[in-house]
Amino acid sequence: MLDKSFLQMNTVFISILIEALPFVLIGVLIAGVIQMFVTEEMVARIMPKNKIGAVLFGAVLGAIFPACECGIVPITRKLIEKGVPVFAAIPFMLTGPIINPVVLFSTYVAFGNRWEVMIYRGGLAMIVAVLLGFILAVQFKNVKVLKNEIGAVSRSPFNNETAATVSIPKISFYNKLKGTFVHAVEEFFSVGKYLVIGALIAASMQTYVKTSTLLDIGQGEVSSSLVMMGLAFILSLCSEADAFIASSFQSTFTIGSIVAFLVYGPMLDVKNVLMMLAAFKKKLVVSLVVYITILVLLGSLFL
Amino acid sequence: MIRILILIGFTFLFMHLHATGDISKYINMKYSYISFSAIFILGFLTLVQFYIYGKSEDGEHAHDDSCTPDCGHDHHKKPSRLKNVTVNSILIFPIISGLFFPIASLDSETVKTKGFHFKGLENEGDFGEHQFLKPDTSVYYGKESYNSIMDKELKPFTKGNQVVLNDKNYLKGMESIYYKPGIFLGKDVQFKGFTYNAEDKAAKSNELFLLRFGIIHCIADSGVFGMMVEFPKGTKFPNDKWIEIEGSIETQYYQPFKADIPYVKVKDWKEIEKPKEEYVYRGY
Repeated sequence: MLDKSFLQMNTVFISILIEALPFVLIGVLIAGVIQMFVTEEMVARIMPKNKIGAVLFGAVLGAIFPACECGIVPITRKLIEKGVPVFAAIPFMLTGPIINPVVLFSTYVAFGNRWEVMIYRGGLAMIVAVLLGFILAVQFKNVKVLKNEIGAVSRSPFNNETAATVSIPKISFYNKLKGTFVHAVEEFFSVGKYLVIGALIAASMQTYVKTSTLLDIGQGEVSSSLVMMGLAFILSLCSEADAFIASSFQSTFTIGSIVAFLVYGPMLDVKNVLMMLAAFKKKLVVSLVVYITILVLLGSLFL
Repeated sequence: MIRILILIGFTFLFMHLHATGDISKYINMKYSYISFSAIFILGFLTLVQFYIYGKSEDGEHAHDDSCTPDCGHDHHKKPSRLKNVTVNSILIFPIISGLFFPIASLDSETVKTKGFHFKGLENEGDFGEHQFLKPDTSVYYGKESYNSIMDKELKPFTKGNQVVLNDKNYLKGMESIYYKPGIFLGKDVQFKGFTYNAEDKAAKSNELFLLRFGIIHCIADSGVFGMMVEFPKGTKFPNDKWIEIEGSIETQYYQPFKADIPYVKVKDWKEIEKPKEEYVYRGY
């Protein structure tokens, strides 16, 4: 006989999966499309040449592009593969899940049709993303950031034949479409396992860790922001639903720490950090965690 | 080959949940179209995987001419057997646990873990109401429009002398009662929920909470809503008994909340089976 709390954990786990999987599927399909239809020349043409421009371009593109935090990781990885510099791709990944119509609208509604929280959320997300872009532009100038990047190129048995197809794009549309789906499947398998583990961890946290213990830790300005960020990380809520949870903390927490919750969660949470580890080198992921934590914390103190 | 099975498994899991209706025990049905469309995407990817498998003997690599040199997938360096097995079993786990493990329901244990909203009636009428017990949708509307909407929503409940809460109007009804307890004072109310004894030692044993879980998107973001009920002296219940009650609405000062809260003086009650739809869902 299985333990009841284990079954509850399993139920929460499956429900998180059911909620996230459709968006991951959309994400891998888009990644497939980018793989087949976006060429490095196109990227080079569109990308601003100077770094500041590239960072801003990435952040703004993310703001226009609607995505959720798990779907966007495979997309970002694909973009970097296609030659988008990492300091533009990461801001894209960070603003994508926060600044989009659905999320902003739900934030607006969740906080009693008031603009402030929504504006703070969007604004802080933008600022964090852009600053992070600048830091990355200095730190990861010419470093390979993708996992298996070198291995992929040198070991690919198709290297020679396909090198030609890049310079002379002769793949038929039908073949491109076929390739899109083949890549989507590949992407699904490379990212799926991390989604599963992440959902599992988030579900166990929800079932076994008393939230009240966490909330008792801090009521100071810094500590309450940290607590809310920790909570966002653990709960791993979808960015469309988290505003409703955050709004229920309004009387116990300062507006700064609530915005910290709303900005930090979609950027970093259990499942999406695991997915990043699948896509990027550890060094980049660790840097991201450190920088985002510091930036969001500082930002929340100003509110 | 194993990949085909995994994809079929996921497709089947989603199909199964929709076909049996069990999906409502995981998510708010209002968003069911999202997971419903996932069935088709998964089904389609299964076909693609079939195609990949058919193309290459070992099903490992079939990028044919559509692969550009920069496609950096894990499979280019052949993973070790052990790694393969681990990865696949991770993916197979939710299929098995989703299909074969019984679905657990949230109950008083969950309330204990999640029960961080237990205070919160202190600043009565303010925005920042906790969503525990008192479903406060003022957060959805803004103060003024909220009041006018609430006054409108109040109407169906203020007609006559009896308020009957069912699955559909539970959240709205609870909200109305907490919004203007005065109007409901002395009225008859009827609703059902599971019992929850507060972890407060001072509480009288015949006073407990009758609660239901309300769901926004999926049960990972649920919260509990309900009222305190007072049974005749000497009546006790363990946690998680489903009860249907009828009684009159009164208010009293409740120390742990530091506020006057409406509660139900129970006249009549019966123990019931756990309802088929045990959760209530947010409709907007």
